[in-house]
This record gives sequence, structure tokens and C-alpha cells, in this order.
Amino acid sequence: MTVSDDRTTAYARAMFDVARAEGDLSRIGDELFRFARALEGSDELRDALIDPHLPASRRQQIVEDLLGGKANASTVALVSMAVGAGRARDLPAIIDSLVAMSAAEANKSVAEVRSAIELTDDQRSRLGAALESATGKQVDIKVVVDPTVLGGIVTTIGDTVLDGSVRSRLERLKQQF
Amino acid sequence: MPGAMIRRTLGAAALLVGLGFLTAAPLAAQEAEGEPEISHASEECIHLLEDGGEIDDCQKAPNQLVPEKNEVIWGAFGFVVVFGFLTWKGVPAIKKTMEARTERIRGDLEGAEAAKAEAQTVLDEYRAQLADAKAEAGRIIEEARQAAEGVKRDQEARLQTELAAMRERAAADVESAKTQAIADLRGEVASLAIGAAEVVVGKNLDRDTQTQLVEQYIASVANRN
Repeated sequence: MTVSDDRTTAYARAMFDVARAEGDLSRIGDELFRFARALEGSDELRDALIDPHLPASRRQQIVEDLLGGKANASTVALVSMAVGAGRARDLPAIIDSLVAMSAAEANKSVAEVRSAIELTDDQRSRLGAALESATGKQVDIKVVVDPTVLGGIVTTIGDTVLDGSVRSRLERLKQQF
Repeated sequence: MPGAMIRRTLGAAALLVGLGFLTAAPLAAQEAEGEPEISHASEECIHLLEDGGEIDDCQKAPNQLVPEKNEVIWGAFGFVVVFGFLTWKGVPAIKKTMEARTERIRGDLEGAEAAKAEAQTVLDEYRAQLADAKAEAGRIIEEARQAAEGVKRDQEARLQTELAAMRERAAADVESAKTQAIADLRGEVASLAIGAAEVVVGKNLDRDTQTQLVEQYIASVANRN
């Protein structure tokens, strides 16, 4: 394990402990997970948050402007803390490690669900049950709204990918040409 | 030595001639001492008158071509002596010299003949060697020609093989390029078609359709078992 991995794990552990202490680990984990995926998908946002020429307060202000009123205050505080500490570049890995810790504590596996639209609670519940039935594992669903899938859902559990997206259908069709 | 012998013989002959003149001069002087000195012209005139000639005959000039009688006698004597001496000593020496010269010439001729024979032998050997050399050169040239023919055949065969391989590679390259071009074109067409399809699908996927797709996915996952 490298020094960077050690730091990532240490930050993840600290954020995990804070989220658990707040008593809303699942929601905070979901919000952090979505923010991590948004950060991965936006070069502009990532460049702004890791820009060393911007003062930390300015970068934290960007986080608060983005998440304020839309996410749990604890989520905003955790992200702001990591960005203020200059760990924005490692934030996706830190959050993934935090989510893995959360799932492991509940003896679950993280199921990353990418959907073109937001899922309802009923759909999340039924999808979780279906995934647990299909994989034989307890799963902790983390939904990411991703318009690039066009339609349908792509679920990733560890190394297993269950792809039911329109995008993959079009890709298969392209392969048949 | 024939040359030295000839020189000695000629020297002896000159000595005898000289002695002849020396002995003739005192005799003539002795004749002059016995009688009163009368000139030769007067003596001849006396002889003419005694022979019945006239005094006018004495006025005629003597014949300069006719020598004195005693001069003729002594000259003949000297000649005979010299001739006899030369016959006695010179002829054998000359004969011996001639024989030696003949022998030398014969020896030279024999040597020349031997040298000629030797030269002929050497010439024959040279000719034989030349013939051998020509034959060897011909053999070498023939071998070289055959080797060159072999190399030429090998090169032609290799060239033909390389040409065939190049043609085959060129044909394969053309076929590969053709296949690749078709595949690229097909991929390009597919990308364009899929891109167009994505646009169409993206515009036509409304909320209900998206919900329906999600429900189908959930159902398909549930039915995996």
C-alpha cells in the first residue's frame, strides 16, 4: 500500500466515522457517491477544485454553492473539508473507500447503478431485491443519474456488470455491422 | 696458337727478304770496284755498238720497265728462297692454322647444332607448356563459364522466387487494404448510423419510455435466476 493509499484510507475512515456519528450514513454515503461521480464526469469542476491558485476558501465556496440546499449539511461539510485540505483530486477514491467501508460494515456489496433517470424508492427497493436475488449477496445500491446510458440501467457489483442500457444495445448493434 | 704462328712465319719471311737485299747490295758494289766506273748509259751504248748498232742508237732513252739482269737474277733468287721458305714453314703453319680453324668452325657448328637442338628441345617444351597452359586456360574458362551459368541460373531462380513472393505479398497487401478499407467504411457507416440512432432514440425516449426501460431491467435482473 502506498502513502497515497494510506492517506486515502485515512480520509475515508475519518469521513466514515463522521457520517456514522451523524447517524445518517446511508444518505450521506449516497450523496457523497453521486458527488464523486459528478466530479469524475466534469473536468471543469475537477480543475476548479484542484486549482492551487484558488484560495481554499474559494474552492470550499464552490462546493457549498453546488451542494448547499441539495445535500445533507454533513455531506457538504465533509466535501468542503476534503477540498479545503487539498484532497479534491483524491476525493472520488476517498468516497469509494468510504462507501466500501459502509457496505462492509453492513456485510453488503456496493452496487453502482447508473440510470438515465432518477429511480423512485420503490424501484430502488425492487432493484435491490432483484440484485440480491441474482447475485446472492446483500447489496448497498448507489444510484448515479447518467444521461450517457440513454435509457435503461447499468449495474456494477465488484467485477460483475449487468448492462441493460440502450447505449449497450446500440453498441452491440454497431458490432454486428 | 695459329695467330702467333702466322705472325712468326711472316716475321721470318720479312727477315729473309731483308737479308736478300743486304746481300745483293755488296755484290753490286764489289762489281763496281773491279773496273773503271762507266755509267749505265755508256755501258748500254757500248753494247749497242758492239752488236752492230749505230751511235745514234745511243741517244735513245733506255726502257725504264726492263730491270737490270743481275737485279732480275737476285730478285728471282730471293723470290725462290722466300718462296721455298714459305713453302717449307708457312704452308704447314697455314695448313695447320686452317685445319685448326676448320676444327674450330666445325666445333662451333657442332656447338651451334647442339645449341639449336637444345633450343629446339626448349622450344618444344615451351610449346608443350604453352599447349598445356592453353588447355588449362580453356578448362578454367569453361569452369568459370559453367560457374557463371550456375550463378546466373541461381540468381534467376532466386529472382523469380522473390518476384513471386513480392507479387504474393502485394496481392495480400492489396487484399488486406481492401478488407481494411471495407471494415473502416463499414465501421464509419455503423458509427454514423448509430450516432444518428442515438440522436433519434435520445429524442424519442420520454419519461414513460425511460420508466418502462427501468422496469424491464428490474424484471430481467429478477428473472436471472
